[in-house]
Amino acid sequence: MLSEVRFEGVHKIFGTETAVEDLNLRVNAGEFLVLVGPSGCGKTTTLRMLAGLERPSYGRILIGDKLVNNVSPRFRDVAMVFQSYALYPHMNVYDNLAFGMRARGAAGSVIAQRVKETAEVLGLAQLMKRRPSELSGGQRQRVALGRALIRQPQVFLMDEPLSNLDAGLRVQMRAELSRLHERFRVTTLYVTHDQVEAMTMGDRIAVMNSGRLQQVDAPETLYDNPANIFVAGFIGSPRMNFVRGSLTMTRGVAAVEFLGVTTPLSSRAKLTAEAADGAVTVGLRPEDLMWRRAAPPESTLTLSAEVDVVEPMGHEAYVTAVCAGETVTSRFPPRSGVRTRDRIELALNPARLHLFDARSGNTILQRPVAGGAELPRSVGEARVDESEEGRSERQREPHTRSAQSRAEEIS
Amino acid sequence: MSAVEARRAGAEKLIVVPYSRVSPAAVATNMILILLGCFFLLPMLWMVFASVDSNPDWAIKLPTPTLANFTDVLGRADAISSFRSSLILAGTTTVVTTVLAVLAAYPLSRMHIPFKRAFMLAILFASGLPVSMLIVPVYQMYVYFGWLDSLYTTALFLAASSLPFAIWLMKNFIDAVPAELEQAAAIDGASTARILRELVLPLTLPGIAVTAIYTFINAWGAFIIPFVLTYSPDNQPGPVEIYNFMGSHGLFKFGDLAVFSLLFSVPVIVLYLFMSRYFSGAFNFGGAVK
Repeated sequence: MLSEVRFEGVHKIFGTETAVEDLNLRVNAGEFLVLVGPSGCGKTTTLRMLAGLERPSYGRILIGDKLVNNVSPRFRDVAMVFQSYALYPHMNVYDNLAFGMRARGAAGSVIAQRVKETAEVLGLAQLMKRRPSELSGGQRQRVALGRALIRQPQVFLMDEPLSNLDAGLRVQMRAELSRLHERFRVTTLYVTHDQVEAMTMGDRIAVMNSGRLQQVDAPETLYDNPANIFVAGFIGSPRMNFVRGSLTMTRGVAAVEFLGVTTPLSSRAKLTAEAADGAVTVGLRPEDLMWRRAAPPESTLTLSAEVDVVEPMGHEAYVTAVCAGETVTSRFPPRSGVRTRDRIELALNPARLHLFDARSGNTILQRPVAGGAELPRSVGEARVDESEEGRSERQREPHTRSAQSRAEEIS
Repeated sequence: MSAVEARRAGAEKLIVVPYSRVSPAAVATNMILILLGCFFLLPMLWMVFASVDSNPDWAIKLPTPTLANFTDVLGRADAISSFRSSLILAGTTTVVTTVLAVLAAYPLSRMHIPFKRAFMLAILFASGLPVSMLIVPVYQMYVYFGWLDSLYTTALFLAASSLPFAIWLMKNFIDAVPAELEQAAAIDGASTARILRELVLPLTLPGIAVTAIYTFINAWGAFIIPFVLTYSPDNQPGPVEIYNFMGSHGLFKFGDLAVFSLLFSVPVIVLYLFMSRYFSGAFNFGGAVK
């Protein structure tokens, strides 16, 4: 029943546009893999190729051990939830749910039984006679989900299924989807542009940009060790600060100079082969850049800055400040009393620096993996947020925990 | 100026300026529209009055009421048979046109076909060609095949001439059905036949009805094609029969003419009313996408 999915050297070219370039990706059996990236990055095309709605230009797509490049959607045994839901408007909820089983020639009594079970799981039992036009957005979403669930397919495909819901409902459905996956454990490929969805729901996250796969990892690994500047900037909110810096190596000891300070690199971190003396881009997460007065003792570096903007969030505040000519965002405790134009001191733990090659944008600093002394962060906290819409969602959700512990088990 | 005066002045301005002016352009537009309306309505008025007048002539006048004209027309065998002919002719044309238009429009709407645009433009061009231009070669062709004077073969040519527009119409209706619905059905495991039967047909039913009614109305009123391609009295559809009322019977029987025209218009009026209901918002894909 559980099947893995493999993309092997898959390209998709539309005319002169390359939508997906040399994609190699494996979705493990029973895994919930989130494909995330900005719009136009090729994630939906990837999903549609797996569904059979688009044919890859090159490469192989396998479901289980079966090559499906030339298998029509009908025979792939996948189920898909569309962003628009694509419910059949002239059929009621019952017929919408039953359509797939009827198409596959299931017996009437079996269909009735399965529809009943599915409707109960999703709380649709009272709505069976309604048409899609008589349902609310959340109910339509559930019907779309039910239409996929009822078939017990080998693979679930979801194309931004939550993006048409309002913020509150989205948080609720996110939890519901995670619960459903927990329960049925069907291999799932989930496409979204929303990093909160990616972080909270995914066993692993695959980040794509301009048709290329950037990195595939468990949410926390992705957050702690982004493979390049794109991933570092895309995951995490507020966004990681990027400042210019330079790397020097003297007698085997590497030191980096940035924002007017110089610090040797932690002995626990390893530089990659790409690392060389000269210009680098230094990445600093806002939550690692703290107010001197509120900082823990490990934050040994001190930077002086002038406050530009203060954004209070309630349980914390984000302070944008100018430091050595660069603008950086830092996390402050609430009610710090800091105001625009104040001179402040920021503190930074040198072990939390990210370093990227200034040219290629690839990371050149491999930080110790989770489990070490400085691990201590939980992604469930506010920092995995979507900047545009989100402050109301900036809260812990119970299911987040389980999603993470799962992620840890798998990694 | 006191506050009260000021307010009153303001109020006057408010009322006077926007509402009191009737623009000359609006007057002109309305006059022209009324004139055009009369142009269409007066003949119909004549038709209604003359049909119940015991002594009708060219003029529009209040009738001296009688039903004699009706009994006269309904008693005539050729009048009844022309209704039968029109029904066969328009019915056959409608069935052939609608079926072919749906079959042609679906792939044109959904599939990647080389030179599709050029093909659609050629169709549009064809739908604008006057039929009378083609009638001589078509007549020769019908003579050659021995197809003359049959309502069914005549319907074939009527269908051919109404197909281009019907394909355009039908394609637009199919375009309006979101492709994602079909993709969802395909992933759900439905065959192409099932998708057509259970999804595309029900969802484009209003469009099919509109196409069928439109074709029927046009075929119902077609004159030149049946006039040329049929000759025996039994096969004369309504419009040709009306022409016969006027010409070859010598004397004008205005009353009969009016009654026949009136009766012949009834199906068209009914179908138009039915169709207008479909045109004004019977389309609803609510809940399908978003």
